[in-house]
Amino acid sequence: MSEMSLSRDRFLALAEAYGGDIARWPEPEREAARALLLQDPQGLGHHLEAAAALDRLLDLAPAGAVDAALLGRLVSTAPRPAASARRWIAGLGAALGLGVSAMAGVTVGVVLAGHDREDLSADALIAATVDGGDSADSLEEPAAS
Amino acid sequence: MTSQGSDPDEALLADVGRGDPRAVRQLLDRRLPRILALARRMLNDSGEAEDVAQETFLRAWKQARSWQPGAARFDTWLHRVALNLCRDRLRRRRDVVMAEPPEQADPGPRPDAGVLGREVSHRVEAALAALPARQREAIVLCHHQGLGNIEAAALMQVSVEALEGLLGRGRRALKAALADLTRDAG
Repeated sequence: MSEMSLSRDRFLALAEAYGGDIARWPEPEREAARALLLQDPQGLGHHLEAAAALDRLLDLAPAGAVDAALLGRLVSTAPRPAASARRWIAGLGAALGLGVSAMAGVTVGVVLAGHDREDLSADALIAATVDGGDSADSLEEPAAS
Repeated sequence: MTSQGSDPDEALLADVGRGDPRAVRQLLDRRLPRILALARRMLNDSGEAEDVAQETFLRAWKQARSWQPGAARFDTWLHRVALNLCRDRLRRRRDVVMAEPPEQADPGPRPDAGVLGREVSHRVEAALAALPARQREAIVLCHHQGLGNIEAAALMQVSVEALEGLLGRGRRALKAALADLTRDAG
């Protein structure tokens, strides 16, 4: 691929338009621009540095910070899973709930089989049925006392 | 600077369209600051910039499910929507400015010129705001947003040559307005 040549005037026009960093100039002209800069590093370098000074000032123009409230509003309005997916998730949740309840019921039955009903308080029975995971503890305590 | 390449947001956008909350957050982390900065520098008003950013993403959410890959990069699409919203607001400002001119920051040097930080930042902001809208748009798109010349020219619906003209005139005006600071910065 032959190297593209670049005139001094074009070099200066590019610096004036795109600033002092050749890496930010149009890609097809960068290589030729670097080659030209090597031929006159002081003269062209001076123009580049002047353009870079303006670049540095431009970088100081406030950009604004993302506010948590704005972020919250955007998150709350973003798309949600499709209705079918939500139903599936809800169904899974209900199934898990039923499973936990069933487990609690089985636990109550097993424990009741090993203990005298009159030793159990009504509160322990309710806690065992509702809380599921804590059912064994709830039942064991009154039985042990 | 000039190549468009494949869309880095494509897969993420598909997940957003499916309602994945992690993808929503990731996309906002990646793109919201850019769009907010674009609007802030175009409008010189943080409240209006937030409104524009919010409206831009509300439209993006509507597009997410039906996004057609390959037509345009999502980032370019966001820029187009945000730019149009900014232009609408600037147009409305022009319509009311005759009745009651808004207060504008003085772009000239202040007695305490040389103080760095916020002072310089305000000077630059005021000088940018004082540019004709098309010159400001060209500088914000190419310098601040880092868009390639072809992409920026397409967004502005001008030729690359016309874009370079706008950039050159805009930067010359800024250089003159900030001459005392560019000497310090150089």
